[in-house]
Amino acid sequence: MNPAVKIENLSKIFRIPHEKRDTLKENILHFHRRVHTENFQALKNINLDIQPGEFVGIIGKNGSGKSTLLKIMANIYRPTSGEISINGTISPFLELGIGFNGDLSARENVYLNGIILGLSRKEIDKKYDAIVSFADLYDFMEMKLKNFSSGMQVRLAFAIAAMIDADIYLCDEVLAVGDIDFQKKSLGTFKDLKKKGKTVVLVSHDLDAIKGFCTKTILLEKGEIVKAGDTQEVVNYYLQRSDS
Amino acid sequence: MLSRKNIRILVEIAISDFKVRYQSSILGYVWTLIKPLLLFAVLYVVFSVFMRFPVENYQLYLLLGVIIWNFFAEATSIALRCFETKQSLITKIYFPRIIVVIASTLTSLLTFLLNMIVFFVFLAISDIPFSFNFFFMIVYILELYFIILGVSLIISALYVKFRDLSHIWDVLLQIGFWITPIIYPLTMVPEVYHRFIYLNPLARLIEYSRAIFILGHIPSPVLNLVIFLMTVVIMFVGALFFKYQEASIPENI
Repeated sequence: MNPAVKIENLSKIFRIPHEKRDTLKENILHFHRRVHTENFQALKNINLDIQPGEFVGIIGKNGSGKSTLLKIMANIYRPTSGEISINGTISPFLELGIGFNGDLSARENVYLNGIILGLSRKEIDKKYDAIVSFADLYDFMEMKLKNFSSGMQVRLAFAIAAMIDADIYLCDEVLAVGDIDFQKKSLGTFKDLKKKGKTVVLVSHDLDAIKGFCTKTILLEKGEIVKAGDTQEVVNYYLQRSDS
Repeated sequence: MLSRKNIRILVEIAISDFKVRYQSSILGYVWTLIKPLLLFAVLYVVFSVFMRFPVENYQLYLLLGVIIWNFFAEATSIALRCFETKQSLITKIYFPRIIVVIASTLTSLLTFLLNMIVFFVFLAISDIPFSFNFFFMIVYILELYFIILGVSLIISALYVKFRDLSHIWDVLLQIGFWITPIIYPLTMVPEVYHRFIYLNPLARLIEYSRAIFILGHIPSPVLNLVIFLMTVVIMFVGALFFKYQEASIPENI
């Protein structure tokens, strides 16, 4: 079987100008002065195969490249070098949310996102109640999204991402937000996805959740995979490293 | 590119753009009709009552020019910022980015078509008889739309990198308004400058549309070929430039 995600020698470099010269005026006035850009290597030589049905955890400190890697998997960023191939449809939940438009109502946002994720209106009609009840936002669906609290937005975003049928689920820090009830629900969703044999990539600082679900875990440090494999081993290694 | 999924996305984004653009204003959609009409009214008073241009049916002549120019100016100004307004969408979820630009310009196209209805009302109450030549305008509307789309693809991708472009574009549009024969007849411009004016595809489209409705004839096939080729070149350059820039848009916005 083809792997769901196959990453070969992937690197991502962000060019960060030292003095940010964004405007044309600055470019024209200072064209003779060389722009000092610092190359920030967010990801370095990543090799990773994820098989269909695997539940993969990604752990690491802040700024280690976890979210960048997930964004590349979601096709938001393109790699600077290397190859990535994705086999299957993706349901992304990145940076605490999905693509929302604050001026539209919650209901309209559900449809907008569903359609971008590849559903038809009819298919969303069928899922709509499940999404609303999962997010527990019955009374708020006609409200504009910009009036939602951040917790409510995250709940709605995760409800959409979780209720949509995809092959691969990318989740960035779902567990860090939301109240206790919602965290329990999220864990329940992960159980369901695992039971259904879906491929899930979970970025989290919640090591208990990682240990509870992930069949395989990778540890990122400064953009490199320093350890990958059995979850228990990788988590222990991570804990030891941060102690010393 | 033109899969059913992408068309659904396009329709959904275009509709939501349309809702958002007008939902928080009291008169809502009426504004889009009032704006060009107000401009038309002022210009008409100045150039038909205060100063007089020797043009027959000047009110139709002017109105058509204003509506076409307004379409170009408004559509490109809004499309310029389309990635900024859609920031939360394009950094969270993947779909072909060109859809954002197409949706934005389609919303403006709808406004333009409603403005054209106003023009047809004026045309109906004038003494110009109906002619089947009028239908040729469909060709010019399509060309106008693709010119706008081509330009929008370039400036929207550029704006992500150079935020100054919004001010520069405002100035360019101001200049464009005066160097395009919108309020003055081309016959008043010395012959030597005509070829410069005709480098501007909008000047051509405005003049040719006037030929259809007011002078009652379709411009020659050669002229139609020239404007067609101009459209193709602008659209081609726009699409190529956009394809080259597309990947870096979410990183730079």
